[in-house]
Amino acid sequence: MASTRQLKSRIRSVGNTRQITKAMEVVAASKMRRAQDADKAAASYTEAASELLSYFASQGITQKHSLFKVKHVHRRLLIVVASDRGLAGAYNNNIFKQYVQELKNDHAAGDKTPSVAFGRKAAQFVTRLREAELAGVYENVSDQLDGGELQAVLAMAVEKFEADEIEAVDIIYTKFISSIAQQVEVKRILPAGFTEVEVAEDLNEAVYEPNPKKVLDAVVYRLVEAQLYQTLLDAKASEHSMRMMAMKNASDNADELVDDLTLAMNKARQGAITQELAEISGGVEAMND
Amino acid sequence: MSSNLHLELVTLRGKKVDQDIYEVTIPTETGPISVYPDHEALVTLAIPGALAIRHNRDDPDSKLEYLAITGGVVRVSNGRVRILVDEADHSEDILEEDSKAALKRAMELRENAKDQVELEKAMELVDRHAVRLKVAELRRKRRVN
Repeated sequence: MASTRQLKSRIRSVGNTRQITKAMEVVAASKMRRAQDADKAAASYTEAASELLSYFASQGITQKHSLFKVKHVHRRLLIVVASDRGLAGAYNNNIFKQYVQELKNDHAAGDKTPSVAFGRKAAQFVTRLREAELAGVYENVSDQLDGGELQAVLAMAVEKFEADEIEAVDIIYTKFISSIAQQVEVKRILPAGFTEVEVAEDLNEAVYEPNPKKVLDAVVYRLVEAQLYQTLLDAKASEHSMRMMAMKNASDNADELVDDLTLAMNKARQGAITQELAEISGGVEAMND
Repeated sequence: MSSNLHLELVTLRGKKVDQDIYEVTIPTETGPISVYPDHEALVTLAIPGALAIRHNRDDPDSKLEYLAITGGVVRVSNGRVRILVDEADHSEDILEEDSKAALKRAMELRENAKDQVELEKAMELVDRHAVRLKVAELRRKRRVN
């Protein structure tokens, strides 16, 4: 059995670890709340944007617009959204698993899939794979997205799409459902309006002012950007939720370990005392004889 | 015939307005348009400017509610108006003094812009603050009346 002193030092070290995980849990929790609020606030805009895109598509005015053009997919751009830091449970691994799966499907065609990585972990993972070709990296993206990264990534995607270098753009991200439930999802953002959303209202022939082309030119880009924005917000909210859960589990485990070690230490101490008493009384007995 | 109009003003920071109203005036590329109940189906572009809402049929102009909006898209159908913009602020939330100062700063930035990117950004700022100032002024005038 380990000595009292060894146990004591282990208890202290586990206690220190617990302090750190507890602090990380609290930080992640507060970040999660902020990320959730931002995510929810933008949701109604994105929903309306998706509906509008589907509406345009259903009106048949989109055939001439380049971003709506549905082509046969040979090559696509994958945007992988993971985190900069680890210690977020299975957050990054879930994304990577899905990513490898997607690559396998594409690789059959014998082509490298251009990929854009959000987060340092994603960048590291993508560079290691032979089937992928890194097309862009965005690290340390702040929780308060200011749009700079979005515009850069979208500009590149649109350029490649219009030049027929790629025929689709998919995002792999973690959809935020609730603080305890998140799910990896693959979402196609180009061609626009690809994912059909039910159009809630009538399908009356609408009047377009000044004309359909001008309206589409002005808004489609924004609406696609909104969808991308939403996926990043979702990913952030998921990341912080998963990190909070992971750290909570770690703190709970540390608590349990401290309890076990304390019990073991008390037993060891009591054992030592009993032993000492036995020795003393043994000594006394010997002297009496 | 439906007697009212449902207005939804959706921004990236949530819904600013989601209620039944009587009339809404929206700044568009081809000039401001007023939408009443039973307007025909329409899709158009909003430009940065002042949005005016009349809640009830009998409200005088002095009771109009103003919001400063950035550009976006407007869709009218079946007694519903849905406006998607990047940003929208109630006139009550805009302080005239602050807007004036911000506009001045933005104009200075525009004067001192070194390259095209900076110039574009400064122009955007000037537009934004000019609209906010206009909306704040509208509210003040309304109070005087």
